[in-house]
Amino acid sequence: MPLIRSGEIRIAALSGALLIASLGPRIACATLGEAEMSVQSDVARLNASIKSSQDRAGYRVHEIQLPGGTMLREFVAPDGNVFAVAWNGPTKPDLRQVLGKHFDTYVSAPKQKFADRRHVNFQQGDLVVQAGGHMRALSGRAYLASAIPAGVNLGDLH
Amino acid sequence: MALLRALRMGLGVALCLSAISCGGGGGGGGTTTPPPPPPTVNTTSVIVDQGPATGNGSVNTLFTSVKVCVPGSTASCQTIDHIQVDTGSYGLRLLAPVLTVTLPVETLSNGNSLVECTQFVDGYSWGPVALADLTIAGETAKSLPVQVIGDSRFTTVPSTCSGTLTQEDTVATFGANGILGVGPFQLDCGNCDTVANGLYYACAAATNCVETLVPTAMQVPNPVTLFAADNNGIIIDLPTVAPTGAVTVSGQLIFGIDTQSNNQSGTQTVLAVDGNAELLMTFNGQTLANSFIDSGSNGIYFADSRIATCTTTGLTTFYCPGNPLSLGLSIQGANGVMVNNLVFTVGNLETMLNANPTFNVLPELAGTLPAGNAGSFDYGLAFFYGKRVAVAVEGNKTAVGTGPYIAF
Repeated sequence: MPLIRSGEIRIAALSGALLIASLGPRIACATLGEAEMSVQSDVARLNASIKSSQDRAGYRVHEIQLPGGTMLREFVAPDGNVFAVAWNGPTKPDLRQVLGKHFDTYVSAPKQKFADRRHVNFQQGDLVVQAGGHMRALSGRAYLASAIPAGVNLGDLH
Repeated sequence: MALLRALRMGLGVALCLSAISCGGGGGGGGTTTPPPPPPTVNTTSVIVDQGPATGNGSVNTLFTSVKVCVPGSTASCQTIDHIQVDTGSYGLRLLAPVLTVTLPVETLSNGNSLVECTQFVDGYSWGPVALADLTIAGETAKSLPVQVIGDSRFTTVPSTCSGTLTQEDTVATFGANGILGVGPFQLDCGNCDTVANGLYYACAAATNCVETLVPTAMQVPNPVTLFAADNNGIIIDLPTVAPTGAVTVSGQLIFGIDTQSNNQSGTQTVLAVDGNAELLMTFNGQTLANSFIDSGSNGIYFADSRIATCTTTGLTTFYCPGNPLSLGLSIQGANGVMVNNLVFTVGNLETMLNANPTFNVLPELAGTLPAGNAGSFDYGLAFFYGKRVAVAVEGNKTAVGTGPYIAF
């Protein structure tokens, strides 16, 4: 249920996109847990383009189209930080870029029991990484549990 | 001489026997019509067991053996066991640490070596694309592009590849000596001749690899498509297993669909798969459009907040109901064909592991998927137990349809 009328959403989304477009690719850091401006550095580093920026109730989502066909979504909380990322498509995005400092937390953790290369269901501290699918159709998401804005349904973060 | 004569006699007897077994007796009237050639052997055995000796054990993982040769050679060959049979991927991939023959790496037109970053859900496997003559049962694919994972000739992984989660380049981290991807598509990429999407790299040197486009014929294909015959798909035929499981179970991998007397479709139900090789499943009132049946998944994975999860550390993403739960599932193909109310059972993983710690076959093993995410039901190898499941490759005809489809 929208909290604001669609015209306002459009204006808000446009101003968000303009804000991001005005941020140069000089900004080097990125990503999950980082400020919204890091969305633009992800776009630059991944040779991608922002397909849409949309305000939803309680957060904003930037859809980033990767050149290989994969869609990356970055979810920004009202405090201006990226609290979740999600991807789906034929290949994964460069998650070292997208997860930022949280990438090493995931890859240095011990392998899950009954790992079958088809599933990720990982939680360590605040970081949650979940993924599924199969060759040519991979999807997943990562979020910081404590940073999810109030009222956001986890099921919508994909 | 005596030895030679004995051998000749033995050969004669063997020829007679094979002629009899083929039903090609033909009478003795002096006619010269030769008997028809025996059909290609299109069946090989498969097993669910503990996995390769240097692995960490496995559950509900289907293996076979393959023979690879340096192209054109009959001497530089190797038979490799514990190759995973996977209907959820495409292509033959071999782990370099178990490979004793040196397969020639494919070279792009600019002279660079072709190396692949194969992406799985939880990680990646890096290694060159090389050529091999593959033989399984009586089927052969000549000069087949295959991936050699963890090859010592290419050890520097580009950051764009290593950024796709965990490296899986050893038998222990991969869980098999290799993988035989025989899903319903022809290629492991599909559009890598026109779009660079992070899978294929051109390496001018082992430490200098950049993403590249690749001509279709150089990409890693579903190996079945390069067989001379029986190349339109596969059938996996596994026996029924007890609900509590078993140490091992053995069955057959059959090549071709409706190409020989032993791979007839008969009255099988054909479910076409969509552009992602997926089906629409309906479970517990949810419509799950990104669902799939996959011999490469080791459990039945779905979201259901009603079912208790396990409490043991490391198992908390798997289901542990108090008693085994029978649940219903409907599956709809992209051709609109429905299979209604397929019943499956979710067991308690902790109970299974405590009761039978040596079992590698656990048909009631089920795990969680995140609620709402991806709208998926992933029905793994348990689906294949007690069934004869055909997977037809895209663009290929059988007696009952055209691939891509799955039928059972």
